[in-house]
Amino acid sequence: MCASVKYNIRGPALIPRMKTKHRIYYITLFSIVLLGLIATGMFQFWPHSIESSSDWSVQKRSIRDVPVVRLPADSPVPERGDLSCRMHTCFDVYRCGFNPKNKIKVYIYSLKKYVDDAGVPVSSTISQEYNELLTAVADSDYYTEDIARACLFIPSIDLLNQNALRVKETAQALAQLSRWDRGTNHLLFNMLPGGPPDYNTALDVPRDRALLAGGGFSTWTYRQGYDVSIPVYSPLSAEVDLPEKGPGPRRYFLLSSQMALHPEYREELAALQARHGEAVLVLDKCTNLSEGIPAARKRCHKHQVFDYPQVLQEATFCVVLRGARLGQAVLSDVLRAGCIPVIIADSYILPFSEVLDWKRASVAVPEEKMSDVHSILQSIPQRQIEEMQRQARWFWEAYFQSIKAIALATLQIINDRIYPYAAISYEDWNDPPSVKWGSVSNPLFLPLIPPQSQGFTAIVLTYDRVESLFRVITEVSKVPSLSKLLVVWNNQNKNPPEDSLWPKIRVPLKVVRTAENKLSNRFFPYDEIETEAVLAIDDDIIMLTSDELQFGYEVWREFPDRLVGYPGRLHLWDHEMSKWKYESEWTNEVSMVLTGAAFYHKYFNYLYTYKMPGDIKNWVDAHMNCEDIAMNFLVANVTGKAVIKVTPRKKFKCPECTAIDGLSLDQTHMVERSECINKFASVFGTMPLKVVEHRADPVLYKDDFPEKLKSFPNIGSL
Amino acid sequence: MQSWRRKSLWLALLASWLLILLGLFPLLRLAVPTSPRAGAPQGWPRWLDTELLQSFAKPGELLEDGPRPPQALRGGSCNWGACFDTSKCRGGGLKVFVYPAAGPVSETRRRILASVEGSRYHTLSAAEACLLLLLSPDTSTGERDPVPPQWDGGRNHLVLSLHPAPCPRTFQLGQAMVAEASPTVDTFRPGFDVALPLLPEAHPLRGGAPGQLRQHSPRPGVALLALAEDGGRWHVAGTDFSACPWDGRCEQDRGPKQTHPGATLPNATFCLIPGRGPDVLHFLQALQAGCIPVLLSPRWELPFSEVIDWTKAAIVADERLPLQVLTALQEMPLTRVLALRQQTQFLWDAYFSSVEKVIHTTLEIIQDRIFGPSAHPSLLWNSPPGAILALPTFSPSPSDFPFYHLQQGSRPLGRFSALIWGGALGQPPLKLIQAVAGSEHCAQILVLWSSEKPPPTRWPKTAVPLTVIDGHRKVSDRFFPYSAISTDAILSLDAHSSLSTSEVDFAFVVWQSFPERMVGFLTWSHFWDEARGGWGYTAKRTNEFSMVLTSAAFYHRYYHTLFTHALPKALRTLADEAPTCVDVLMNFLVASVTKLPPIKVPYGMWHQEARPPPLEPGGPGLRQEPQPAAQNCINQMAAGFGHMPLVSSRLRLDPVLFKDPVSVLRKKYRSLEKP
Repeated sequence: MCASVKYNIRGPALIPRMKTKHRIYYITLFSIVLLGLIATGMFQFWPHSIESSSDWSVQKRSIRDVPVVRLPADSPVPERGDLSCRMHTCFDVYRCGFNPKNKIKVYIYSLKKYVDDAGVPVSSTISQEYNELLTAVADSDYYTEDIARACLFIPSIDLLNQNALRVKETAQALAQLSRWDRGTNHLLFNMLPGGPPDYNTALDVPRDRALLAGGGFSTWTYRQGYDVSIPVYSPLSAEVDLPEKGPGPRRYFLLSSQMALHPEYREELAALQARHGEAVLVLDKCTNLSEGIPAARKRCHKHQVFDYPQVLQEATFCVVLRGARLGQAVLSDVLRAGCIPVIIADSYILPFSEVLDWKRASVAVPEEKMSDVHSILQSIPQRQIEEMQRQARWFWEAYFQSIKAIALATLQIINDRIYPYAAISYEDWNDPPSVKWGSVSNPLFLPLIPPQSQGFTAIVLTYDRVESLFRVITEVSKVPSLSKLLVVWNNQNKNPPEDSLWPKIRVPLKVVRTAENKLSNRFFPYDEIETEAVLAIDDDIIMLTSDELQFGYEVWREFPDRLVGYPGRLHLWDHEMSKWKYESEWTNEVSMVLTGAAFYHKYFNYLYTYKMPGDIKNWVDAHMNCEDIAMNFLVANVTGKAVIKVTPRKKFKCPECTAIDGLSLDQTHMVERSECINKFASVFGTMPLKVVEHRADPVLYKDDFPEKLKSFPNIGSL
Repeated sequence: MQSWRRKSLWLALLASWLLILLGLFPLLRLAVPTSPRAGAPQGWPRWLDTELLQSFAKPGELLEDGPRPPQALRGGSCNWGACFDTSKCRGGGLKVFVYPAAGPVSETRRRILASVEGSRYHTLSAAEACLLLLLSPDTSTGERDPVPPQWDGGRNHLVLSLHPAPCPRTFQLGQAMVAEASPTVDTFRPGFDVALPLLPEAHPLRGGAPGQLRQHSPRPGVALLALAEDGGRWHVAGTDFSACPWDGRCEQDRGPKQTHPGATLPNATFCLIPGRGPDVLHFLQALQAGCIPVLLSPRWELPFSEVIDWTKAAIVADERLPLQVLTALQEMPLTRVLALRQQTQFLWDAYFSSVEKVIHTTLEIIQDRIFGPSAHPSLLWNSPPGAILALPTFSPSPSDFPFYHLQQGSRPLGRFSALIWGGALGQPPLKLIQAVAGSEHCAQILVLWSSEKPPPTRWPKTAVPLTVIDGHRKVSDRFFPYSAISTDAILSLDAHSSLSTSEVDFAFVVWQSFPERMVGFLTWSHFWDEARGGWGYTAKRTNEFSMVLTSAAFYHRYYHTLFTHALPKALRTLADEAPTCVDVLMNFLVASVTKLPPIKVPYGMWHQEARPPPLEPGGPGLRQEPQPAAQNCINQMAAGFGHMPLVSSRLRLDPVLFKDPVSVLRKKYRSLEKP
């Protein structure tokens, strides 16, 4: 508003100062500027209208212009692949020593055209897919231009399809790469290995120690932990638009869509169809298609014509049989359609099997058992089928859908081998995003009751209420399991009392002075905290008895992953206002405990200080409120569990101070606390707090039992 | 005129700004050198003729790669599909036959045989078996073993050897699988062979020592690194090491060290284990101690690597990058350290702490291969309580188990089934049925009628369906996984149990927060009886408890499956013979799975006046066992489990406002307030 007013005033104020003789000057200026503008525009946009990408740093060249390299007939040929290679024998990790942030650096050799002595090209220069692959690598964080710093080298010689190259000459081309060195740290990509009549399951080009990312490995050619098994890319992934179809019952139970099957397999499939009728559909090549329809996109059963790959979405299970090669592009199409692949290819190493759990997305059936396939699949319950369908689709989206996805997954696998301590977890690889969202991995998942002897550290946050503080210290020091007392002195203007004035207690007492009066100082992971259990206690909580505190510690031992506290609070959904509300009345439920008096694991201090999401920590410090609510949110979010409230409700009041309860009754305070809940819920993106209806009491609490025989008799006294 | 001038002025200003914006940026780009070599290609070029590039495969090439007949078996190499005949394993799942030992056997062999024979897979008939287990001859005896009678080229055989075989085998392995301790990666056939851990001679048969970890996070001041040395010793390196402590070349840089005499467990956060042969024993030690194993280029396959995700419990690092590895260990985030430490303990307890567990895990892996799609999902193998205690036959979906709700983001179903064990009672327990049916959470009532008299034809009218199941006379039948049970929660009751609706409601709400535990009303506690040198238990009210009576307790229906299908038959027979034992057995079972105590909820004292004393909960005629037999039962159970799984608790969960000085009208569970 202010800005627009300002402009209106400035315009007229300028104009009257202009003289008529200046008009020419302005017109000239205007023309020059206009011309310049047009020129710049031409310069800027003209070349880019040819090529959509406008990356300035990239050279624009034609494939035809790449330098030609002549390979003499007697140039060296690498050894055949070394089957005993492992990362620790054949891979030179020293080259990866420079890489920061646990990320390998990858160099790509520049593109050359290789010809033999006679000038006949060794292979087609580069395929569309390999170009895409190298582009993806070059655009990723892995890429480096500095050959001296690279840890992994990717030749630009296209090896994706062995049939498109001359084996010996390609090997010679590899051998003359500037850093070849027996292929150490070189990564070769191949999707279609072998050729007629043998169809080897790995690339036949001699490659010595080079790593092979191959599509179609068998257990005999795959070097476990060294090679990477990759999918055979299906060009249909890019060509065809296939909207996702959710899991659920489908028309056909089992479908076979492959065209070039061995007659023996086809007989088996025909027999299956004969036995199970409508539920099984076996498709084949269409023989009488009219001209102009691409054969790849149609499948036929007798005279019925089906669209491919759409028909895959009509089936629950889809057969992926071995052809001459083990790796089949149809696997990609099948996964995409959310059809569960039934892999019938003994000894086939499934794509990315090093990290992907194929049991969750596919069914492997031994070739020998092909006739039983129907009964094997029938035994899978419907819920598991839907899970597998979802998983299949997720695998396609994450690792099959584009050449880029395949390239990056391959590099990630190699990266994880070199930096195992920073490796991606099983869940990261395999869990679809929907599962990742809903799941909680409790950081303290091991069921473990810590020994009582360890004790706990009490942390008292104080500002200047020395008298009350001393009373708290005296009370807390009576608790048998207390092992240390830490006073966090949050007042920078005043020095803590002299040593001689402090109460004499049986455990070490440390005073930590803080640099700034912040509430988050209470949750700082101080080195002085040696026990796992921490008791956070305000300097005015003098009403808790020693029995109550000791019992609280015992309860924490049984629930070391939870907040175990005394005053409980509740959050409620306010339907009128459509937002969360804070509640401190006598309710039958609790979802929070106040950290004015609560036991918890010291790990949560670390989380609060270093891993608190969003700006919550700063927000709390700025508002000087709600640090306890933030802690409740944090712990509930990370563990997925509710708090434990211990012992009956007490009147938390004390004569000279505004105790938690005294303050909570204040109306504005309640509004503020409600604001906190709403703010935190929006930062966390969810409401992590769990509501429960129980609290923990000693086994014999209020039981008709002699008081003197009870372990914790003094509980609940007001 | 003036307006035109004004406009032109503004246009000029605007245009000049545009010019600056458009013109200056590229100039700036040019001014700042982006590459050391001018004109060098940057990144991968965007080819002008990308559109013209051919696809890597010719159209149709991907679809028709030339048909080829099914492959013949390749000599020498075996994989699961080719060399194992699963058709023998139809029906009963995995049935294992063990060749009996001939002549004197070593202690280790005896233990292996005992653990297979005691397992749920064992069969006495070689013809019925789908897996034949052959113990590899002891390396000490140089005798030539004859080829076993059912050998058949090794098909469906598993050759088990707990020590890596240094000498060539006396007969050809053929198609047999090999389960060998720490096999070398070069000979190991993934998905066919099984990698075992190298067990020390004195490894216990059953139960086994618990993990050493006493707290989740490392103790402050504990050494960062311990290095495996010869003879099972550990060399604890200080935190101020400067370089590679495992490299002989920088021996002098080791920093302060203490060397522990003898084979002790390391006390450090990370345990460095060189990857060569003799150090494998260290691996299990580190695991037991909760010291995160850092394996330096291991030449051997990690145990059970087919199913265990070792990246969650150990770090396989490259020995050639000492500084990087050390830096990475030092800088490892606390969260990861915590997770790794806890996982070592879970794995140790679940799969390695006894010979029995190692053998069962091996057989479970082979059974998983046979099961194919209905095998254990990875989650069941890699999170507590582990795959031996999580039976995949129960359900294919982890969210049906009581253990994985957090990971799955699921929760147990919101209703329960009341299962009333009729005992020898002749009359339907009307009051109890009314009280239970009155609960809003009750889905059904099942009465297990096991009296000789026929069940009465008239049952009280209830809001929920009531089904009478004709039970057998055996006490263990009350824990049979009846298909009629349709909910996750079971409220197990005796005919003479006395409960109020409020109590049932509250207990169920508590159970929903702890679906893996038992939530009960009446408790027992166990203790070590010095005088008798054994365990004892008492029903006296004390300040702690470790068992809840199944005459009134909530628990997950999965425990019925586990009770019936996973417990050794001998233990169930024991429970049938001494019926009070069945409570002990159920509590042992749940505690050994959860490693946690059960949960006690309030129980009105007025019930107890109207019922027999709690030690005889079986009702008239069934559980009047004399005390000594009952006490003996807990010791027999402890022997059967190999350890004492019970854990004591000192707390009871009450409603939030329980007996608080506030109006009763505010309280949800009012009737619990009765004195």
